Amino acid sequence: MKPAAIVLALVAICVGLFGLSLLVGGAGFGVPAALILWQIRLPRTGLALLIGAGLGLSGAVLQGSLRNPLADPGLLGVSGCAALGAVLAFYWGISESFAPVLPLAGLLGAALGCAMLLGFAGRAPSGPSLILAGVALSALAGALLTLALSLAPNPFALAEITVWLMGGLEDRSLLHLALAGPPIVLGCLLLLRLGPGLDALSLGETAAASLGVPVGRTLRRAAAGTALAVGPGAAVAGAIGFVGLVVPHLLRPLLGERPGGLLAASIPAGGALLLAADLLARTAPLVLPLNQEPRLGVLTALLGAPFLTAIARRVAP
Amino acid sequence: MIRPALGLLLALLAGAPGPAAERLTEQPAERLTEQPAERLTEQPAERPTERIVSLNLCTDQMLVLLAPEKVVGLTPLARDPAISFVAAQAARLPVLRPSAETVLAHAPDLVLAARYGAQTTLALLERSGVRVVRADLPDDFPGIRAETRRLAALLGVSARGEALLAEMDARLAAPPHRFLQDVGVPAPTALIWGARGYASGPGTLGDAVLRAAGYADIGRGGRLGLEALLAHRPDLLVVPDAPRFPSLATDLLDHPATAGIPRRAVPPALLICAGPFTARAVQMLVR
Repeated sequence: MKPAAIVLALVAICVGLFGLSLLVGGAGFGVPAALILWQIRLPRTGLALLIGAGLGLSGAVLQGSLRNPLADPGLLGVSGCAALGAVLAFYWGISESFAPVLPLAGLLGAALGCAMLLGFAGRAPSGPSLILAGVALSALAGALLTLALSLAPNPFALAEITVWLMGGLEDRSLLHLALAGPPIVLGCLLLLRLGPGLDALSLGETAAASLGVPVGRTLRRAAAGTALAVGPGAAVAGAIGFVGLVVPHLLRPLLGERPGGLLAASIPAGGALLLAADLLARTAPLVLPLNQEPRLGVLTALLGAPFLTAIARRVAP
Repeated sequence: MIRPALGLLLALLAGAPGPAAERLTEQPAERLTEQPAERLTEQPAERPTERIVSLNLCTDQMLVLLAPEKVVGLTPLARDPAISFVAAQAARLPVLRPSAETVLAHAPDLVLAARYGAQTTLALLERSGVRVVRADLPDDFPGIRAETRRLAALLGVSARGEALLAEMDARLAAPPHRFLQDVGVPAPTALIWGARGYASGPGTLGDAVLRAAGYADIGRGGRLGLEALLAHRPDLLVVPDAPRFPSLATDLLDHPATAGIPRRAVPPALLICAGPFTARAVQMLVR
């Protein structure tokens, strides 16, 4: 199949899921009242698509730029840092007085996380050590986030740890969509232009530099784009794992190994994966005796893990 | 200690026991509201009741209203104006960290506690020879009357108890539109909607408040999601006063999709614990 056909097919899946998504929610299956449709289900669906797209694309860019198949904003702690920034802004009331502080804080957290990772990668570029640093950053962000929620003045904060660590889109509004949407789109546009640089980087940094690719600038743009594409999403929906990791692996059998060739398709693939997960999260309390929706991270893992296991088995020697 | 207790109380406000309640309570939840507190009357009045410690926000408030001069210690929660009706008075009264050690160090005549929660602390106090009274947490106005009288008698201030109840009954005087229901006009519907979407419902204090104010409660207890709320659209949405610190749980109450439903904010302090002051919540809701 041609890459353009694959992208189109993935976009078609997104459109189908978008339609289905408007028909499922807390009020049950079927076409809801206009108010519920516009103010609850539309923002939620839009956020799932945008956040998933940002995660999928930044996963593809990180795996390409760091030349490591385990790179993923969730696993490397970028999402965790973003959620930490958002938690600090949200629970101490800073974002209450000025709403755009929330995505900005997520953005800042994600940017700090990316900067720390790239700084580390610059000095010790070997794959395993970068992943170790990422896991350490992720653990640190998770620990600080838990600590911040334990110290938060609102007694309900502690119960909301799972939302921030595993992600959730329940009861978000159009305001959240308006806050998180533009920076995610901007980040995706920035990341999409990195294709040729990533292809050159796959030969190694020295080889890429000899081809005339500005290695440092490409990596900095990858970091800035990832922060934009992941940070605001994590600020309104928590740190959603697995999407960025699994999307490039799902696409490689279809599109080949060239990192630049995965970028366009990883946008609709990430959006479709997260929207499918969110659709399942909404369906679960309607068909199972659950008192609340399962967290998004639970469902992205349930959806993605079987694929990833199958792929891992195929690539094993 | 304080944070779980606060979480527990706010969960109670929501009308359902939270995880903390399940962990701390040794009896099934249904038993908590049964059985009037025989313990309150089993001790005749000859034992002194001058130095009292309260270990629960609800008994804190009853103690401050009935006998502030006898307070040896309240919980620190009693001073929080967001959840305590008597915060101003409590600011001038001593508070104790609610642990067995601190209570024993003050050698009270009597420890007031709720029937649920902190069972290990209470058992330790009783083993150490301290008289512990477990108060009921009423969920309607007859229950409030009975409990206020029992506690007032126990503290030797029955006249003050009757005065509090007379003030409560004055506030509860029939709402002006009640006659409409007598001639067959259906009561307007309402819902008390708290953090995380926990709603009023049969058997909750919120339900008693709504009915006393002349509304039909559409809550069924437990959580009511945003979409379900919009689908059942009550005539009036009663929410707690704006929270001082944000959380996702309370953010839900301000979701823009609820903007079209008339709402009235009631201080949570009036609805967390039942007491003569609960009548003020009714007064705020009467149109």
